[in-house]
Amino acid sequence: MSRKTKNTLFKSITCIAVITCFTILLFLFGVIFWNGIPAINLEFISSSSSNFGADGGILYQIIGSVLIVIVSALLSFPIAIGTAIFKSEYLKTPKWQKFSNILIFGLNGIPSVVFGIFGLILFVNILGFGISWFVGSIILGIMMLPTIILTSFQSINSIPTIYRESSLALGLNKWETITKVLLPQGFSGAITGLLIGLARAIGETAPIMFIATAFSGVNLPQGIREPVSTLPTHILALAQQATNPEALQNAWGTSLILIILVMLFSLSALFIRNRQQSLSQL
Amino acid sequence: MRDTFVLSNRIGKNYVVLSTFISTSIVFLILILLMINSWQVISLSDANLFSSEWAPYKNSFGILPMLYGTVIVTFISLFLAIPLGIATSIFTAEILPEKYRYIVKSVLELLAGIPSIIYGLIGIAFFSIWIQDFFQLQTGRTILTAGILLSIMILPTIITLSDDALRSVPKKYREASKGLGLYQYETIRFNLLPIAKSNIIGAVLLALGRALGETMAVMLVIGSIDEIASPFYNWLTPGQTVTSKLGREIAETSFGSVHFSALIFMGFILLSIVLVFTIIAQHYSKRTERLYE
Amino acid sequence: MKHILTLIFLSFFLNCAQRETINVGGSTTVLPVISNAAESYKETNPNIRIIVNAGGSGVGINQVGEKKLDIGMISRGITEQEKAKYPAINFNPISIGKDAVVPVVSSEIYDAGITTLSLEQIGKIYSGEIRNWKTLGGPDREILCVDKEASRGTRHVFMAAVFGDKEAPAPGADLVLGSNNEEQTALVQSNSAIGMLSNAWLNDDVKGLTIQMPNGDTIEPTLANIINGTFPITRDLVIVTNGAPSGKVQTFVDYVLGEEGQKIVENAGYVRVK
Repeated sequence: MSRKTKNTLFKSITCIAVITCFTILLFLFGVIFWNGIPAINLEFISSSSSNFGADGGILYQIIGSVLIVIVSALLSFPIAIGTAIFKSEYLKTPKWQKFSNILIFGLNGIPSVVFGIFGLILFVNILGFGISWFVGSIILGIMMLPTIILTSFQSINSIPTIYRESSLALGLNKWETITKVLLPQGFSGAITGLLIGLARAIGETAPIMFIATAFSGVNLPQGIREPVSTLPTHILALAQQATNPEALQNAWGTSLILIILVMLFSLSALFIRNRQQSLSQL
Repeated sequence: MRDTFVLSNRIGKNYVVLSTFISTSIVFLILILLMINSWQVISLSDANLFSSEWAPYKNSFGILPMLYGTVIVTFISLFLAIPLGIATSIFTAEILPEKYRYIVKSVLELLAGIPSIIYGLIGIAFFSIWIQDFFQLQTGRTILTAGILLSIMILPTIITLSDDALRSVPKKYREASKGLGLYQYETIRFNLLPIAKSNIIGAVLLALGRALGETMAVMLVIGSIDEIASPFYNWLTPGQTVTSKLGREIAETSFGSVHFSALIFMGFILLSIVLVFTIIAQHYSKRTERLYE
Repeated sequence: MKHILTLIFLSFFLNCAQRETINVGGSTTVLPVISNAAESYKETNPNIRIIVNAGGSGVGINQVGEKKLDIGMISRGITEQEKAKYPAINFNPISIGKDAVVPVVSSEIYDAGITTLSLEQIGKIYSGEIRNWKTLGGPDREILCVDKEASRGTRHVFMAAVFGDKEAPAPGADLVLGSNNEEQTALVQSNSAIGMLSNAWLNDDVKGLTIQMPNGDTIEPTLANIINGTFPITRDLVIVTNGAPSGKVQTFVDYVLGEEGQKIVENAGYVRVK
């Protein structure tokens, strides 16, 4: 084979690979939209489900999902920012940087079902919270931590040293420098991380399915110790009856709504984030 | 006035120290809790943990079928996703004109945004039926189905991280090769890939970690039989992974029972494996060091 | 934004006292009855909330044992082990309906002539001795034997009738699934499957087998046969509480046992007890 043929062959192979990936992508989104759109109407998103989810809508699933992830973000954000500041401004030896990185990337790598078990053991059983949406929020909040920490760290850490030096020279102490100079600059990074975290968390099923959700009869929770229904667990219940046409149709409708929520979060993140980074890095 | 600033400095420091303590200690907390809760079954002499029989009613908790399923499903997914992912990343990083790159990458990253439960729904509504018809099987809920589904789920990780790895190779290498009259194939094959290799390995290991831990999609399509396929390479039969077993059974057991403990033990093993791979992946990816620049 | 969230939180806590909640969970066989009964009960009793969760009979018993549920739904008896595990709990089973567990086959198999099997033949399929429908006079096709998760009530009742042991292993099984819905889906998707389903899940795609008794009689899975008790694999649909129900739980249980509740039992495809 001549060098030229090899080169052409090589390029065609990568081309085929890209086309394959896009076909898969098109298929997945095509399936979700094609099947989901007929299921969605105003009634579907504004009424409660009945008859195993085969009838009615998904109003309380939407509320449940949004409630769980918003509260998890509120729990996670301050801790993540604090950690990012510590890593960037206080932790200076490379050894400890590496160690903290291992722990944070380790946390990021923990399988989602293990988080569910962790929540089941610690919060539901040992601490006796019972099955509650708030436990779900805590667990999803923990899962979001690494993403928010890393994006915030990157944006705070990349602020040139000169800012810190001038601020100190002006007589501001370290904490003032952090809150008045560094945080305002690094905030967009933190928000990007938060949005990516939200996009991931709202689609999670395994961590919350045995600690935070109920099958039916839930509407608005009336305390922090009650379960809610969520979109992913609703899809799980419906997917198991995949040959019942009504249930399947509602499953697609629910999937489409879930995808739309995920896209809302991740497109906002894409919009804000630095163009050089990849979401998957986090 | 100055005093309050000093005070805020101290409170601020305590706040960030405490936050860091919380976020870094959770990994240990999870490990320790799983270890404590596994102890019951580990200390049981006749639990047959490393046998292939899972029969809670006679206190036999062999985890081999689940480990087998996890290994095979992960292997299939990597086998399919690595070549496809790396070839795609070569295209997006080296062949695709710069101005389209951002759009193409963003669109591919949308693939990563699809929640796993939706992959599960698509798997059960389409993939399992295709596999069933294509191979003329009794059921399309097989190890292969789960592996294929999983390969699609880890593709974005491999593509975006390998793409980053290739892009991070300095421009001068490409220019030098061009100057030597090398074809693009040769440049990539002999210059760029060896330089980016370490980061690409990191990407694959990260994808491996995700594949090992994926639950919902696998659980819906794998068929949940606690058996090692016979012969062991017959992947057109149903199986079980650690994650699908946990997802299906954990809620049915009561906290504190041996059965519960056996499931936690499996979770502990899975977690340990994933953590090891994550740490090795960290070692290979030079990402963290780039941050200090 | 913060204020709105604070308000939402406050309203949750304030609401706590006003409405009462009943937590129910367990068997997917009993689920349709309780889920529908809860929906219609709430129409007349807006101050009671009934949260219903699935999971299977095992979950129903364990969580009543751990006092996480007010009412557990079970479709089998409570085992001695389970009673021993929660010595402080006084399990109080209340029968709300009757059901049959029916061996079912994919419609293709039914249409090919396999409409009647003996319990012995079914046992041989589940133990792996019979692996092809040809052996039973059907088409030359391998049997897809669908089993259920070990703690499921349907499985306990079925295995007790077929093997005489409710926890009998099924070495012939090819698939293990959970809820009735999931099992039904697998049976429909296959063209050579056998499985076990609650009577209420039978339809044109999944057909119930007639059972041949040792004395040669054949008994169809009809409501009449379930009512008169001749169908060999029947069971009670049970809800279980810790001690005799009282207060809000009692009123709901009374509703399920009353005329309206029993109509819901009937509409779900089961047999009423009153």
